[in-house]
Formats: sequence, C-alpha cells, structure tokens
Amino acid sequence: MAQVHSSTVPFEEDDHRAAFIFSSGEDDRQLPTAASRPAKKRKLAGAGKKAASQPQLQQPAFGSDSTFIPLFNGAESPEAVNLRKELFEASWPVLETRIQHVLREANRSTLDEVTAFLQQAAQEKTEKITAGFIITGPNIVSQDLLFEQLSERLYTEIRARVVRLRASEVSNLKAALKKIIRDATANESEDDDGSVVVPSTVSKALFYEAGVRTMDVDPKKGRKYLDYDLDVLSWSDRIQFDVLFGVATSVELFQARLPRSTARLLYGAQFDVVQANSVLESVVKTAVAGSRATLRIGPSLLRSLVDRQQEQVAGIQLFVSSVKYAYMCHFYANPLSVLLAKQLDRKLLQPEHLRAVRMLESFKAKVEVAIDARQMNHAQAMIEDDDYLIAQILEQQQKCEDYLKQLLRTLHLISSTGLSTVSFTELYMTALSKGIDLEQADEMIRPAEVVRRMNADEFLNFIQKLLHATETGSPELELQGWASEAEEFVDAVTELRGEVEGLMERSKHNGTTLRSQYSAQSKVLRTTVVAQKVQLSQDTAALTEEDKAYTKAIDTMTALLSQYLRCEPINNLFLHEIWVYDSKLPYREVFVPRPGAAFARGLSRPHDYLACACCSKVDGGLSSTLPTTCILYHLYLEAGALINVADLWSAYYGLVGNDDDGSMNREGLDERSALVCFYRGLAELRMMGLVKQSRKRADHIAKLKWL
Amino acid sequence: MNLFRLPDELIFSALCQQFPCRDPQIRALATLLHPSAAPCPNLVLHGTEATGKTAITSALLSKLSSSLDNQDEKEGPTLRYAIINSLECITARHLYETAVAKVAAALEWDLSSSGRCESVSQLTVELCKMLKYPSRPDGFRFVLVFDGIDRQREAPGTLLPGLARLSEIIPRLTTLFIVTTPPPSLHLHPPIPHIYFPPYSKPDYVTILSATKPPPPSPTTSPSDTADLWMRFIGAVYDSLAKAACRTLPALKHACETLWPRFTAPIAQGIYGAREFSKLLVAGRVLFQDENVLEPGVVSLPPAGSSKPSLPSNPNPSFITAGPLSPVKKPPQPSATLKGTTTADLATLLPPTARLLLLASYLASHNPSRYDITLFSTHYHGRKRRLGGPKLKSSTPGQRSKHRKISRKLLGAHAFVLERMLAIYAAVRSEWDPKFNLREGDEVVALTGDVDVGMALATLASLRLLVKVGGAGGGGSAAMGGIGLSGGGGLVPADVMDRGGKWRVNVGWEFVRRVGRSLGVEVEEWLVE
Repeated sequence: MAQVHSSTVPFEEDDHRAAFIFSSGEDDRQLPTAASRPAKKRKLAGAGKKAASQPQLQQPAFGSDSTFIPLFNGAESPEAVNLRKELFEASWPVLETRIQHVLREANRSTLDEVTAFLQQAAQEKTEKITAGFIITGPNIVSQDLLFEQLSERLYTEIRARVVRLRASEVSNLKAALKKIIRDATANESEDDDGSVVVPSTVSKALFYEAGVRTMDVDPKKGRKYLDYDLDVLSWSDRIQFDVLFGVATSVELFQARLPRSTARLLYGAQFDVVQANSVLESVVKTAVAGSRATLRIGPSLLRSLVDRQQEQVAGIQLFVSSVKYAYMCHFYANPLSVLLAKQLDRKLLQPEHLRAVRMLESFKAKVEVAIDARQMNHAQAMIEDDDYLIAQILEQQQKCEDYLKQLLRTLHLISSTGLSTVSFTELYMTALSKGIDLEQADEMIRPAEVVRRMNADEFLNFIQKLLHATETGSPELELQGWASEAEEFVDAVTELRGEVEGLMERSKHNGTTLRSQYSAQSKVLRTTVVAQKVQLSQDTAALTEEDKAYTKAIDTMTALLSQYLRCEPINNLFLHEIWVYDSKLPYREVFVPRPGAAFARGLSRPHDYLACACCSKVDGGLSSTLPTTCILYHLYLEAGALINVADLWSAYYGLVGNDDDGSMNREGLDERSALVCFYRGLAELRMMGLVKQSRKRADHIAKLKWL
Repeated sequence: MNLFRLPDELIFSALCQQFPCRDPQIRALATLLHPSAAPCPNLVLHGTEATGKTAITSALLSKLSSSLDNQDEKEGPTLRYAIINSLECITARHLYETAVAKVAAALEWDLSSSGRCESVSQLTVELCKMLKYPSRPDGFRFVLVFDGIDRQREAPGTLLPGLARLSEIIPRLTTLFIVTTPPPSLHLHPPIPHIYFPPYSKPDYVTILSATKPPPPSPTTSPSDTADLWMRFIGAVYDSLAKAACRTLPALKHACETLWPRFTAPIAQGIYGAREFSKLLVAGRVLFQDENVLEPGVVSLPPAGSSKPSLPSNPNPSFITAGPLSPVKKPPQPSATLKGTTTADLATLLPPTARLLLLASYLASHNPSRYDITLFSTHYHGRKRRLGGPKLKSSTPGQRSKHRKISRKLLGAHAFVLERMLAIYAAVRSEWDPKFNLREGDEVVALTGDVDVGMALATLASLRLLVKVGGAGGGGSAAMGGIGLSGGGGLVPADVMDRGGKWRVNVGWEFVRRVGRSLGVEVEEWLVE
C-alpha cells in the first residue's frame, strides 16, 4: 500500500485519506510529498519561461498512469488507460456544468421574487426594516448556491451590496459587525467613490452609505441575531439596508424566538425555494436520462439513489456526487469502458479486452440465442474470430445509440402528452428495468384507457401534443425533434387528426356531440318495474355513424401508440455492461457506510479480518486466542447495564491466564501481562464509545451501546 | 442680565404641540438645562419605553441651542450638546470614542489626536481638553446626553459613577442620563434631579393618536365625522385591547391602524353611517376580542393574495398581520406568484428518516423511561401497547394524594440518552415506516449504526430541533479512575454521535403532532400522560 501511495503522489490526497500509512523506510527522503511540493510551486510561479527541467521530468508521471492504474492485472496498455481517463474527463465535466445550470435555473423564480420584493420595499417608505425570509429547507449545502446567486443578482440589479452572515461564523455582535464592515467595504476600492477611507474603527465605518445592505442569517441560532436587528435599527436612518434570512425550518419557529419588539420592526415577506423533489426530477432528466450522459446509470442503482434521496437526504448535492462516483467507478475500474469511445481504434483493443467481452453475461446470452436460432456460424465466429467480434462491437455502438434515442423519444412522448401520471424519474426507471410495452397491462401507463376516456376535443389536443413533442424534442433531455425520421408515425397521426376534425364538423352540423363507444355517456342505466320488481338494465345508446368512425379512430390511435411507444429492458441489450453502470455495492460502501455494523462484526468475529491460524475454529465464539478487545467485547455483550470491572477482569483472566490448577498445559499469560492487555482492551472499548465510567457506583463502568 | 430667566415660552408651545401630554416634563427639562435658568450638573430621565424621553430631549436641545444662538446678546448664554446612543456602541470603549468624537463635532473642535479612548479617565482627559481648559464665555453650557446608558454593552461597573463625576471635574457641563429604570444606586444621590416620564393614560393616548388622520372610511364621509369616529374608535381599542395587553404607544397605534379598515368596512359598504358608532361597535365586536392584533407578525405580506379588505365576519389571520393602513394598495407581485407553490411546511421538507427520529426523540423526552418496556416491548402482547399507556392508579376520589403530580407535558422536555432514543426509533420504526417491511425483504435492515441515521441526527441538530444537553463530551471525558486508567479522557472529541451525550427535543407539541400526521402517526397514542 505504501508503494502505491508513493507512486500516486501527485494527487496529494492526504487530506481525504481515512488513515495515514507511515512508512519509515529506505526511500524516506524520496517521499513524493517532499519532492513534488516545491516542483508544483515552481510550476505555478513560473508559468512562462521558468518551466524548466524539473517540471518536465514530473510531467509524464503527472499525466498518464499516475491516476488511472492499468487493469487486467497490469496488462492493459497505457494507451487504453489514457483513453479511459480521457473519456472520463470528457464526459463528466460536461454533465457537471449542465447540472450546475439546472440548479441555478431552479432558483430563478425565488431570485426574481426576492429582487422584486426588495425593489418594491425600497419604494415604499416604511419605518420598518425590510426583511425577506427565504425558506430554504433543511438542506444547508444548497443554500450556498442560492445566496451566491442572490448576491450576484442583487448587485447587478439594484446595486446592492450583500454581506453574508452565518450563524456559525459570527458568534457575537462584534464579530458580526466586523464581518459586515469588512465585506461591505471590501469592494470599495474598485468603486467610483474612492474617497471613502477604509475605516479604522467601527463607528466611522457604519456611517458609510452602503446602498442596500443585505445579510442573510442561517437558521435561527438563539437570540443573538435578534439583538442585532435592534441595534442595526438605530443605524437605519443613516444606512439603508434590508435583511434576508435563510430560514431552514419555518417562519413560525423563527418568530417564536423573536421578541415582540423586534418582530414589530420587521416588514417581512416569505419566499419558498423550489422543492428538492422537483430539482431532483430535472437533474435526473439532465444528468441521468439526457442524451448527453455517456454512461447510463442502471435501474437498480438509480432506484436506490432516488429512494435514498427521498427517504434520507435533503440535498441534491449528494445525488450529484453519487452520479459522479458511478462515473468514476466505471471509468476507473472497468477496462471495457474504452469501448465507449466514439471513434474506437481497433489497434487499441488488446486480446484481454476481447476476452473480457466474451466473459460478459450479455455476450453469453447473445451466443445462446444465436445457437437456439441455429445460426451456428455466427455463434462460432463470435466466440473464435476476434475480427468478427470487433465488428460486432462496433456495430453494437450504433445500436445502443438507436436504442437510447428510441427510449428517450418514447419517454418524452409519454410524459409530455400526459399518458402517464407518474414522474419522469419513475417512468425512466421502469423503462430501463422492465421496458415499455403498452400492450401488456402496466399499472403506470395505460394509453388505451387514457385515450378512450378523452372526448373529441381532448383527443385533438392530445394529437396536437404528440405532434408538437415529435417536432420539438426536449431541450431538457437534449433531444432533437425527430419528425423527419418518423414520417410514418407523423403521417398516420396527422391523418387521424384530419379524420376526427372532419367527424367533429359533421356531428356539429348534425347537432350532436361526437362521442365514442367508450365514453361513459353511451351507457345508460335503465330501471324498469316489472311485476313490482325493479330491474336494472344497461343499454348502449345508439351510436351514430360519426361516433362509430370516431371509435375506430381511437382504436387506431391506441394501436398506433402501442406499436410506436415501446422499448426493451436495458438488460436485454448486447454489451449493455459497457455503457450501463448498475453496481450498488461501491456506492453503498462509500455513501452509506455502516460503521456500527462493521465495528460489531470486527469485534465479534476478528478472524474474518485477521485470517490468523489460531482463531480459525472459533467461528464467532469466545476463545483465549482472540485479541483482548474482542474478548472483552464478548464479555461486554453478556453483561448488564453496569459492569463491575473486577468481575470483568476475573472473567478475562480466567480465560487467558495460566491457572495454577488443573489444565496447566496451555500457555497462558502471567498476571502482569494479562493486566496490561486488559487495560489496553478496556481503553480501546472506551475509545470506541462502548463504555464509560459510571458515577452511580464505584468500580463500575456503564454500558453505552445497546443496539 | 438677571440671574434667573426661564426659557422662551415660544419654545414650549411649539414643543408641546409636537409632543402632546408631556408639558410638565418638557418644562422641567428645559428649566434644568437652560444655561440661565437652573442648570444642574447631572440629570436622570427615566420611564418605560415609548414615552418620549429621547425624542423630547433631542428636540428640546436643538430648539434651545438654536434659539440661544439667534439671540443678539453678545455675551449671552450659549448651549452646545451631544447625544450618544448606547445602542450604537458595542463596547464601552466605543462609547467613549463616540462621545469624544461627537463633542468635538459639536464644538467644531479639531480633533488632531487619534481619538483613542480606553477608559473613563481618558475620556475625562479628552473632555477636559475641549471643555475645561479653553476659556469659554460665562453663559456657556454643554449638555452631554447618554441615551439608554443602562443598556450599554460590556459596560464596566465604574461607568455610571464615572460619568456622573464628569460634571464635577468639568464645570459648565450637564450630563444627562436617559434610562428605562433608574438603578437604585442613582437614588443614593439625592442632589441629582430625576424627571419621570410616566406611561400615557387613556385620554393621553386619544389625544396623541387623534393627531394622526386616518383615511376616511368612504369617500362621502366628511372629515369631521371621520375624526370623531376615529377618536371614539381609539378609545374602544384602548379599553378592549391595549389596557390589558399592551402598554406602549406603537403597539396601540399598530392595532388601531390594522383594525381601522375592518372596523369601517360596513361604512364603506353603506350598511351603517359614520355616526352610528355603537352599531359599528356591535358589528365589529369580534375585532376587539382578538388579541392577535397586538402580536406583531414577522411576515407582513400575506402569502396568499388577500388584497381586498376582508370583512369582520371573515377573520383572516394572514390579514391581521398586514400592517399598512391602506390594504388596497397591497403590493401584488410576490404574493401572486407564491400562491401556487406548495407551502413550505417543515413537516414536508424534512426527509422521512429525520421526521421519524424527531418523533422518537419527542417520545424519549416526554415519556418516563420506566414505561418504555410497556410501550415499546413486543414481548408479551405481540403488539405494542399504545393508546395512553398505563393509567396511573387513582386512589379513592375523596382522598387527595399528598403531593400532587404535575403533568409531564407541562414540565417540558426532559433530557434523554441518545441510545434510548435510538432504541425507541428501532422499536417504533416497524410500525411507523410504511416501507420498512418492504425493505426488510431484499436487504438487511440497516439499524442504528447506519450512516443515514447519523446524518438525520446531524440535520436535526443543525436545525436546533434537537439540542445537546450538558457539557461537551458528556461522560466521555470522565477519567476511569476506578480501574486505574487515567489520561486520554480529554482526547475524545465531543461529537454528535457521542453515545454518552444527553439530548433534548426542542420543538413543541403542536409541531410534533403535525410532523406525526404527515407520516400518518398519531403521536398521542404513544404518550404516557
């Protein structure tokens, strides 16, 4: 591990390292940290001519194999490694900027409202302080972006200077004022009025006319802000300022903690931020489903991501980083990811690549299908002929693109025409995992029912929507319009439209309304009384010629839809493993670690980790060969809420000590060394937060962890 | 030049018009400040807030000094003054420096030195430089006003006595203290005159508020009728709301302004005339029973677009907080756009896990731990006991138990150990979380070692819905002397997940009930009364 570390120096990721590995050894002085730091500095400083010998020496190590290691047990060629890296670097940043764009767009309406409110409040002369309450929700991370945007926006629109105060940053009034002055006067030198001297004392600074000064305060932390308001009010005749609060919980809770005298001074309005769910939806559309995404997140991973997002996490940032992590995993660890390259160089493919392809599930499935279909030559060539396989792979690339296009078009049509009420994300996940087949009864999409329920106007409207969606595509999904490619479909739909329009004309002429066999009005319930018994009977109202024609049009429509809107599950595709990443495990390990469970397992079954010979037979039981802490943990589990340390010690010593009587054969510890081990184990238990000293009884420790 | 001369009567009449019902205070103050009347070295003004202390002082001082300046007499008395507002000074040093700067500005003194001033003695030196040593004409008087000095931050104990001594060192200086309640020590100095600004009485309020002209209830109402109605209306508001619940002028004014459009709505509709006060009163009696008007709302703009004046029969709470007198001119834009969006209720903003944990914490805080087994154990019944839990044994009705128990609900939240709350969470989760059973099937149910629980806890703690009780580190730092371990205890950092720490829930019953209902849980069933 230390070797790996030293070879991957340029990353300098010591900050993110969970554990440091201390290597006291031969190449101490050549440790990368020592070597690379000065080089890096020089590189930064001398951007021009000074890029001398040393940076050049460093360059290759920096560029290629340092970050992406060769796979296939190191047999992967450097070109392939580089290609994987390039692919990753080309695909992720594009997505990231798109996501940023989406997030910024999501805040737009809030920004508009706040700006309008401030402008309007500036015109209205009140004695109160203008205060905006932005309900940001518990997601504190996304507030950063919002307030950053807000300050940009306010500066450009109403020349307001924004000072941001955070509850954690400013602990008292003095600190708050200092920060306000510093931030508000920071840009001053660039401003026109250079006459304002940077003030030496607080008093002078506050006299500075600062336009609209806006601050935002994170969730109400105690009462201290409330004092600020009062103070700040005494300046309000000289400085015009507004206050914006980022409230994480609710205005009621905020108000409950304000003194009335302060509340009376505020002239407030409440603003909501776009809810996390709708943001998630658009991020999924852009980053996961959109046609720009080079890598597909597989349905089961996506499902767990989305579930977790809705159940546990309030912020969208975690979702974004999870997606990024999936990209990283795929390009870093899957050698076949080179096949994602648009122009794939055949020479790049090593025999290992082809072997790996032949190991894939989808390859096996395809070959089996070929054999079943009696295409023996094809199957044999697939298995034996490398060139044939490469040709197949290249061909498959195009197929994948087609599949994707078809998938997105289908989904877009369904979601934009209202055929399904579930969210796009849900639809997308279903389409990937189960495919879309309208003929089979699916709970989510039942086009036949939806279409049949429409009256003629709605039907025309629906057709209009269909055509529109086909023509324009979806900018969110980065889907171009495809009317020219789907002429057949468009023609059929247009024809239907003309037909129905004609029918409507005619029925209007006749003075009847157009209806179909399926519409509810056609069934009439009749009650007849025959011999003092009530009989209920259903009658089908007579349908006119037009109505029958309309019914036929509807039937044609549903047939057309179920024929056109279909796609396979993604797992049926040949080579789907290459462009679909659907592995949950790495994600869970990184984003949902279970330290508690890991600790418990490590302590109760140390053999699983240590793989030592002595404990192999223990299998979760208690044995004297276990590490001290594990023995103590076992004893701890059996004990009650309060543990007598003396009892614990005697139990421990009974297990590991060399008893004087009886079974003398085994090699026990003598009392002193056992005591040392005991102390150390107990200290470790305490460090892990399992026990603490009890104040209730002397010489006892309290059990802290029960679950 | 006679020795004693009262200030010009013109000043009084102007000021009394500006500040009605404060005639005696104005006169006393003027006498004690005027250089040729009875100037005194120290002076204390006290009274509750919003009784006109600061406003009258500053108005009077500016009037006095300008009227003295306008006099033709060459050697006549002059008055200079400086007002220092303690609210604006965040430290005592800041107060001193502000005082020096303001005095210098009032005297047009060129303050060449840096103006650093760290203590009262330094303040004395600086003031002496400006006031004592330069020769001043006989009639010169300087008034130094410390406004709200009792609320000065970081004030040293010597501040007040020190400032009171200033005028002993510097002649021709009057130090005026404006305080809300005079500290008892001030009474120990009988020579210092006090002027008390009492709270206004009902006639005072009516006089003051009738100076502001309300908008006429309908275009046809004559101004005199409006004024008459307004006066009687103020009296009614005072009697019904202000007398008992609010004492200050701004609150009463706010209440009057808020209620006025609704009170006069029948006139605008043409139901009653402007003179039928008693009928209006009967029609609008609901208005005078609702003390919510006195509660200032933080949010002035109603979230929904209720821009028309609502009728008394339709008490719209969002309208109550809408301050401005003319509700027709309600700003239209944010409300209109906000209307469509979902209300950002916290119950929906929090992720479900965090909500469940919050409920579990509430139960842990409010249920005594001895009932935990009865409530949450499935051991005997197979299902958990709920609906009120065990009833306390009531003794015979006539006999009162010796010490009466106070309901735990009234006692507020108790602290609980994190472990207990997590145990409760684990116990109730299977019943509360609809997806729990679904999830159990396909993967191992993550219990409390899960990072998600930790994250939800951190969220709750950062929102201060859960607060940590007691010192940092809790029991973790206690040295384990009993088994001979020492040292290292302080190394354990106090973090959110510290199992030893105690916590308390920081939200009320209403909120918890709302959160519970958002999850389909009636929290009441799980509480032991």
